[in-house]
Amino acid sequence: MVKKHTQFSSRLIDLLKTQIGNITGSIEKEGRMLFGGSNNLMSADEISDFSIEFFQLLVALLESKDPLDDASPQFHALEIFFNNLSHQILVRGGRVEDLVRFNQFMQRALIDALESNRQDEPEQITTAQDFDELKTILLFLSTTFNELNLAVFQAYLEEKESTIHAQEAELRETATPITEIWDGVLTLPIIGTLDSSRTMLIMEALLNRIAQERATAVVMDLTGVKNIDSQVSHHLIQMMRAVQLMGAEAILTGIRPEIARALTSLNIDLGSVTTRATLSDGLKEAFRRMGIHVSRGQRTEDR
Amino acid sequence: MTEKTGKKEGLSSVFCPLSSAGVSGLHLTSIGHGALLLEPSLSLDIGNGGAALEEIVRSLQRINATRLYYDLAELAVIEPLYYNWLNALGRACRTINVRMICVHMQPTAAFALSRYMEQMPTFETALDVEIWNKESK
Repeated sequence: MVKKHTQFSSRLIDLLKTQIGNITGSIEKEGRMLFGGSNNLMSADEISDFSIEFFQLLVALLESKDPLDDASPQFHALEIFFNNLSHQILVRGGRVEDLVRFNQFMQRALIDALESNRQDEPEQITTAQDFDELKTILLFLSTTFNELNLAVFQAYLEEKESTIHAQEAELRETATPITEIWDGVLTLPIIGTLDSSRTMLIMEALLNRIAQERATAVVMDLTGVKNIDSQVSHHLIQMMRAVQLMGAEAILTGIRPEIARALTSLNIDLGSVTTRATLSDGLKEAFRRMGIHVSRGQRTEDR
Repeated sequence: MTEKTGKKEGLSSVFCPLSSAGVSGLHLTSIGHGALLLEPSLSLDIGNGGAALEEIVRSLQRINATRLYYDLAELAVIEPLYYNWLNALGRACRTINVRMICVHMQPTAAFALSRYMEQMPTFETALDVEIWNKESK
């Protein structure tokens, strides 16, 4: 078996060495068409470097003990190389379809080179041994490029996941805009649906912010919350308790009639929580507790 | 500190470390205005909290304290056993007419504590000592 591998790999290495100019030329041309020029995904130098490195890695794989072993370090190096290349192209706005097409093209370029080499030496096709060797070469190319396509898809999925995570983080930031509206007074308007995981995230962000800003009062406005369930209302009370444990005053505002009804039917007692009708009332209460008086001053004339 | 230098007489009565009578992990300091600051270290054995509780109450009574500040800055998490100890100390303080105020509770500790706490604690909370001292003046 090893001998068979040695035969086909040495034949492929010979092929690569004799036709390196033609193969790299056609690969670079295709690469420039897909990723270069107006697409502006890779420069001509990058495409050229890529072709050379790909060949070096392919030769290293063919020179390994078992080129068909997809667990070998040489195979892994080739996979990582393709994964990195895919990331690079996808980050720059490239399409996964073009990467797969490029892979297919490279495979075809190698098969074409093999065919043209065979036409130069027509006597080789007559033996059964030669047929067997060609079969092994095709199997090797097919297996290798299938794995490389998987590496491309893996990179695509990683990029997508990273984009989704970034969007989620951004959404979390915008969904919980904790603002220090006055020295030591934080406001947190909650908008949208409150579920357990979001409540936990808000709680974590809020407690850290209290510690960071040394806030003495927190006004949480629920005007934008339309629904609340038993679990979430408990989380809400936990959040208020945690704020109080940190040593800050917690004021809940904007409880809509639907929420009040839900809290009543859930038998939840907000007796230990300071509530006010509106965010404005909540702020007034926070200021009152801090001994701050806000009054309308005399207007100065425009100059 | 102030006793050694002997220069800042006004402060010597304000920041005065008290003896913890052999109870390890207790660091008690009189911070003036009838307040005592308790900074527990990790060696405080709350499993045998009775002795520590007695010592704290004794120190509070010795200086006629009206407030005990319990510094939680070093505790990242407050587990139920520790919470029970804090509540017990809070009750003990109430019995001698002293307000117990926990300060510097960490966000992680507040987060964890709020999850299993069923009733309001027997102690008060504040961001730090300074704010309560200002309010009480």
